[in-house]
Amino acid sequence: MAESVLKVVPGRSVWYRLRAFFNANLINLFAGGLFALLAIFLLYPIVSVLVFSLWGDEGFTFSFYAEFFSYNFYYWSLLNTLILGLATMIILVIIGFCFAYLTTRGPLWLRKPLKIIALMPLAAPPYIFSISLITLFGKNGLINNFFHLDFNIYSWTGVIAAQVLAFLPLSFMMIENVLNAVNPSLEESASDMGASEFRIMRSITIPLAAPGMLKAALLVFVMTIAEFGNPAILGGRTPFLAPDTYLMITGEADFNMASVLSVVLILPCILIFILHNFVLSGKGYTTIVGKPTAAELRPIDPVIKIPFLILCIPVGIMVLLSFGVIVLGAFVKIVGVDNTFVIDHVLNTQSNSAIWNSFKVSLGAGLFGALVGTLLAYVIMRGKFPGRRVMEMLALSGFALPGTVIGVGYIIAFNRPPFLLTGTIWIIILNCVFRFLAVGVEAGISKLHQISVEIEEASADLGADFLTIFFKVILPIMFSAFVAGFIYTFMTTMMSLSSVIFLVAPGFDLASVYIFLTAQLGELGVASATTLKVIAIVVLCMGLLQIVSRKMGLNVKKQGA
Amino acid sequence: MDSTRPTMLAIMDIHKSFGSVEVLKGISADIPKGELLTFVGPSGCGKTTLLRIIGGFAAATSGRVILDGEDISNLPPNMRNTKMVFQSYALFPHMTVAKNVGFGLKLQKWPRKKIDARVEELLALVHLEGLGGRSIERLSGGQQQRVALARALALEPKVLLLDEPLSNLDANLRVVMRDEIRNIQERIQITTIFVTHDQYEAMSISDRLLVLHKGVIQQIGSPVDIYERPANEFIAGFVGYVNFLEGRVEAVNAESNTVSVLTEFGRLDLDHDQKEVGVGDQVLMVIRPETVSLSAWGGGESQNTFHGAVESQMYAGNLAKYTVKFGQKEMVIDHYNPMGSRKYAKNDKVKVTIPRKIHMLKRQAA
Repeated sequence: MAESVLKVVPGRSVWYRLRAFFNANLINLFAGGLFALLAIFLLYPIVSVLVFSLWGDEGFTFSFYAEFFSYNFYYWSLLNTLILGLATMIILVIIGFCFAYLTTRGPLWLRKPLKIIALMPLAAPPYIFSISLITLFGKNGLINNFFHLDFNIYSWTGVIAAQVLAFLPLSFMMIENVLNAVNPSLEESASDMGASEFRIMRSITIPLAAPGMLKAALLVFVMTIAEFGNPAILGGRTPFLAPDTYLMITGEADFNMASVLSVVLILPCILIFILHNFVLSGKGYTTIVGKPTAAELRPIDPVIKIPFLILCIPVGIMVLLSFGVIVLGAFVKIVGVDNTFVIDHVLNTQSNSAIWNSFKVSLGAGLFGALVGTLLAYVIMRGKFPGRRVMEMLALSGFALPGTVIGVGYIIAFNRPPFLLTGTIWIIILNCVFRFLAVGVEAGISKLHQISVEIEEASADLGADFLTIFFKVILPIMFSAFVAGFIYTFMTTMMSLSSVIFLVAPGFDLASVYIFLTAQLGELGVASATTLKVIAIVVLCMGLLQIVSRKMGLNVKKQGA
Repeated sequence: MDSTRPTMLAIMDIHKSFGSVEVLKGISADIPKGELLTFVGPSGCGKTTLLRIIGGFAAATSGRVILDGEDISNLPPNMRNTKMVFQSYALFPHMTVAKNVGFGLKLQKWPRKKIDARVEELLALVHLEGLGGRSIERLSGGQQQRVALARALALEPKVLLLDEPLSNLDANLRVVMRDEIRNIQERIQITTIFVTHDQYEAMSISDRLLVLHKGVIQQIGSPVDIYERPANEFIAGFVGYVNFLEGRVEAVNAESNTVSVLTEFGRLDLDHDQKEVGVGDQVLMVIRPETVSLSAWGGGESQNTFHGAVESQMYAGNLAKYTVKFGQKEMVIDHYNPMGSRKYAKNDKVKVTIPRKIHMLKRQAA
């Protein structure tokens, strides 16, 4: 209905005409600029990867792909990655469901603690679990020593365990949302008709939640196959795609093969992205109708409760133990070997300078990312040009694509003119901006959804032109989305490893990279101390984000880091 | 309506199409200064679109909008002297009540002192004295409505546009705010267009109603005109329940100013106040349920009286509603203030008297 493009009365002065021009075209100018940014910093690197996988010294060739599929090593790398994703996905859907079922339907006193435990890993980078698992189950690990076990953590079991713990919040949050949306009166009426708890779960809850759980499963799959840290640290000799891509660059400087590995890693992600957005979109029975019914608790049957708890409790203990071990590791010389209190790990200058670097990068990425995200949301929601859908998809794709792929794309794309950026801090900042754009954009879109177009019309009605509306009404209203985008980007940049590890210049360590390197070398104390600092900063950010969301009525969906 | 008042707003032959769908098919109307005119009609009739064309938020496919003698058809909203109260109120959430009300004044570069004074005056007008410093989110729905009204009135527009302003309020508050809006409008004598789909709201607030249906004006008239003398079947049914009765005019007596109509029930003698109806015309009689009176069976056949049996009854305190069956035909009768009078049960035999003043719609010759 909004059709306010009417003729503007011709004016006299140059200033007037300039203003009239901006009034009529500012949103399109923004759109053009943002399109250019997305094209350069998102599309161009991805296309570069594609081109490099097909373009050798003699021009166009499939030889790199032929090489990929002729060597057992690569072949196994792909297979392992898929197996890892699948195994993690299956375990996480089951555990996530158990947690979510208990927090939405279980005994009241259990709900809060279970929920906190399930969400705790959000406060830490995913690779924290590699460090804590090594501390617990490594050669001199606490538990290995205590029980005289000979358990090898550098194995499939180790990688899967770390992945499960790292992505528990993602699976839990999505399934909890789905279970919350299932109308309790449906379950009550089934119970009323004589169905047992197990029967209700089997024939009411799970079928209703199935589409949403499938979405959760797919997302977990994508996130785990793209994860770099855990398989790199715990994988041992088992090849996985993401770490292999890294080795291909750092070890062999083979950009073509690194590109091939990247493309192979992207394919399942794109496939699932499409499935998620088109095939599954709109599927789901869970609609909320009317007011939420008063939650008189249906007592949960022990037949359900006990097995669910048996599954959840060990996982919960592992989460708590992991965090505990990090704290311990940060303040103890060598956990399990020399348990004397030391402050050296925390005071380590290299660690502190890495944290400071990360802080600078995160600050830059946060500010720039929030600005770009907010403007993108505005242009996508209120613009009237073709291709807005494409723009939105492009902006959100940074989140869906594996970090390693974008990392490879950035070094290929920006190590030569016209965009020579490698070795600078800017390449890291830009990389994080465009990878984590999704949250800023979504916060902006959600804010604009709450604001009726009528607000803008009302401003015009009261005599404001477009520039005035933009600066006096739109920007102030979108400020909360900007803040949310800033904090989120800051936080994720702080933890991000998979992409920036390709981009850091020698001597310029980021916290995440430093943690990764020290963990690989077995310097668990410094790794733990640095992780602890990162966690502290992230927890602070989450608190701020909570306050901002509550104060400004924002609905920021938390997404996997 | 006082026809001596000058025209403030004229809309001339407005057409509007969305793609191949024509939602407004040539709308023309003159709105005199100080009048409250309501656009009313079922949803999708084009009333909001018409209002948005007047406000400048949508461009008409063809036609003109004349405000106080000036053609404003091509002006953007920010250059028109019409101000709108939006359905969602569209208050700026990041500004206080006073900042919202003063927004337009600030854009006009009024000095601060003058803005403050004007804002105070407006807040007093809408009974929000002392709430200028409040944030918008801490107001109730009714208060937000008042702020939106004050904001629109701040610049003293020539025409005030209200887009379903009461639809977000609950039933009781709606009545209060309706009367309040009418009160303020009459006090400051501002020409106002009010859009609603609620016919009772429209009738109780307006000087005149413009009834829109399928993109065409069905009738413009005072509430009395619309209710008592509807121009067609659609309007008769839109503004309240109606019993339609088919008939043919048998005779017209010019001297006694009466007309005889032969209906399915028998002969009706009615006052003749519609000159366009003549002998031999097929007519449709618009019989409102509350105009028909009901009494116990008995007595002889008197004028305009028929015998029937109660088919169903419903007692609602202030009225008793009966459906009375005459052979195959049914009629709904509202008996207001039934306290103390006789109640009838199903299958009771009753006598029904149709009043002499009945509005007739002339049927187009087939």
